[in-house]
Amino acid sequence: MMTLLRVIAVVFVLVIQAVPLSAQGQPKQQEVFTPIDQLPPQDQLPAAPLLVGAYTFVLLMLFGYLFVVSRRLTAIQTEVDRLDTDMKRTSRN
Amino acid sequence: MPKWFQPATLVCGAMFAISPWVIANAPYESTMGLVQKVFYYHMPSAWMFLTASVVCGIASARFLATGHPRHDRTALAAAEMAVLFGLLTLVTGPLWARKAWGTWWVWDARITSSLVGWMIAWAYLILRQYGGPGSEKLAAGLALFGMANVPFIYVSVNYWRTIHPATTVVPKLPFSMGFPLLFCLSAFLLLMVLLMKLRVRVAEEQARLDSIYLSLDEQA
Repeated sequence: MMTLLRVIAVVFVLVIQAVPLSAQGQPKQQEVFTPIDQLPPQDQLPAAPLLVGAYTFVLLMLFGYLFVVSRRLTAIQTEVDRLDTDMKRTSRN
Repeated sequence: MPKWFQPATLVCGAMFAISPWVIANAPYESTMGLVQKVFYYHMPSAWMFLTASVVCGIASARFLATGHPRHDRTALAAAEMAVLFGLLTLVTGPLWARKAWGTWWVWDARITSSLVGWMIAWAYLILRQYGGPGSEKLAAGLALFGMANVPFIYVSVNYWRTIHPATTVVPKLPFSMGFPLLFCLSAFLLLMVLLMKLRVRVAEEQARLDSIYLSLDEQA
């Protein structure tokens, strides 16, 4: 029982000493709240990057898709033309 | 390609080139400010997504009824349009919401049902790609569910609790905001028609190529 009490006392003393040490790293205690009309500039979420991001994404995706489909069509048409030519040449021989 | 394709492409390109100027001249919305201008690309994307889902459903129904490959190719092209424009909707929406609502995403009826509709379009394409023979009929059945989801997406904001604007917003827009919307909507509609035409042509050429290979195999 005595041992348990000693352990609790030691832990209590250590915790009491640790509290002022941890408080040293904290910012200065605030004594009054001052109201302002608008958020400080560093806290305001700017709309422009979101707007530009949205428009850029849309245009990139649309033109990207157009590019991919056009390339695919060209590749298929080239292959069809090549096969047509080969078949005509084979039928002539 | 048909004769109208090239002039229409030029008109569409010019409309997209002019659209930033038209949007920049639209007035700011009183509560959302600058970020509300995402609306002029977000809403046309959403409408094209819904239109493509309906086109895919109708073409699939006609394919199931007639078995004509032309309808199947139209449905396939429309499903790709639904995926493309659905992606644009689901990306531009959160970019707008982050500023306007303070959050990227909310699980309300409109956004959740749009996500479901987009995943149905993806499921259609995945089924077509990896489903093997006969998958076009299964995919056509799936497209009908995608189409059935469209009215639900549209009216959901009027019947369920949401912070999404109601469907009454667009008819009540003043001319200064309505004209840019109509302009962008026309540009997106024209672009979707052109992209669909191009995609259908790819499918037609692919079918022609497959038939050539088949005839070569038979000759061999």
